[in-house]
Amino acid sequence: MNDRLLQERVDAVRDAAADWVVRLSRPTVGEADWMDFDAWIEASPVHQQAYDKAIGIWSLVDAAAPQIDAALGPAAQPSVWANPTRRWQMAGGLAAAALAVAVVPWGDLTAKTVVYETAKGERRVVTLSDGTRIDMNAGSHLSVRMGVSARRVTMDDAEAVFDVAKNPRRPFLIDAGDRTVRVVGTQFNVRRRDGVQSVTVRRGVVEVTPSTGASGQTYRLTVGQRLDHVEGAAASVLRTALPDDAMSWRTGRLVYRGEPLSIVVADLNRYSDKPLRLADAQLGRIAFSGVLQTDDGPTAIRALTLLAPVASTETPDGILLRGK
Amino acid sequence: MDSTAAPENPLLTAYLEKRANLVRFLAARLGSLEAAEDVAQDLYLKISSMELVDDVQNPMALLYRMSANLMLDRLRRERRAAAREDAWLKTERTNLGGEDVVDQPAADDALASRQRLNQLVSGLESLPPRMRHAFQLHKLQGLSHAETARAMGISISAVEKHVSGALKALLAKLG
Repeated sequence: MNDRLLQERVDAVRDAAADWVVRLSRPTVGEADWMDFDAWIEASPVHQQAYDKAIGIWSLVDAAAPQIDAALGPAAQPSVWANPTRRWQMAGGLAAAALAVAVVPWGDLTAKTVVYETAKGERRVVTLSDGTRIDMNAGSHLSVRMGVSARRVTMDDAEAVFDVAKNPRRPFLIDAGDRTVRVVGTQFNVRRRDGVQSVTVRRGVVEVTPSTGASGQTYRLTVGQRLDHVEGAAASVLRTALPDDAMSWRTGRLVYRGEPLSIVVADLNRYSDKPLRLADAQLGRIAFSGVLQTDDGPTAIRALTLLAPVASTETPDGILLRGK
Repeated sequence: MDSTAAPENPLLTAYLEKRANLVRFLAARLGSLEAAEDVAQDLYLKISSMELVDDVQNPMALLYRMSANLMLDRLRRERRAAAREDAWLKTERTNLGGEDVVDQPAADDALASRQRLNQLVSGLESLPPRMRHAFQLHKLQGLSHAETARAMGISISAVEKHVSGALKALLAKLG
């Protein structure tokens, strides 16, 4: 396609987007308009971009209407610029308007992303500007963005208890791989380790939805429920759980009820520089139940060898666990 | 496996799927993305607190009706001018209170948006006089379509043509 035709097509989409904005701002807009609009906007990402640009200008005009109106002056009266006092006031007004609109429509874009990390064996409590507390487990990495319309946390490999300050107008969203956790105000534990996510609720209600592009269904979790999900899978498993177990790491204990040994080993390795290894993969599938202390490595390993059918051997590069 | 899936709420599913488009739709009428987000959030809270409705024939249409009602409530509650005042006050508070430091724009963002406003003003100045007048009455001074039509002695559809012509010109210039 030559440049002229391409430009004509771009102009046509831009004009169509402007027509949509004006059509939808009619006081008599109805269900049919909504259905037509939905079909048009879904037809192409190019339509979405063009429409979003048009809405950007549209809302910019609304946000600064009095200032723009003053700057334009009455249509019939050509020269407000002749009056220096008026001009000065207008300049001040425009500057104030500039500041205001920068905060409102672009707030989410300009909000800074802050990264929080904990080292091996380190725990950290982060308090956000809205009063939300994030209690981070060892070896965790997550980032926070406090936007105007949403508070957003992205969890990389991490585990944390969230105590979210209630604000229905500014939802709290946690992105954990292909699942998004939505919150209004509550306390819960989110864990994303080695491609497995787990959400356990202690207070309130949270909702876990597939992130954009991922498949699966939405779950609403209430107190004492836990949702486990393997990343990439469509299904998730909902079960009842004791929230205190899931959050016990905050008091230096790890509580397990029939968890695979491989997970226990991976957890312990987040606290110690001396890596634990399993002699073979089969051992990793043994179901483990018990409580382990995280603040004292040797004690934890002793407890592990008492509670599970394994024996430990010191090796130059760590500790090896073998079947008994 | 003891997997007991939460019962699927068709309205909630439709909402999550169509949320972005609803916000876009609402923003045209409300003239503000922030206000549109607020209404979408109200709608979400309403849906998630509803009893499960099994026989929703057309969740899309119901979604629309519910959001249109919420939007009208909002428009009724705060007349346009009052809504603007409110937005201003809110902004002031964010700036002065300083509780959300991260929400404040960097100095060059403020400069960029000032430049954008200047571009808007000069874009409007270069419009044909009647188009500019219609845009000014309706969009800047808050007259309804009908009031603008009456003031200019033209039809409502002519007002709409002027307004969308002005928006097209602004987009061509600033987009």
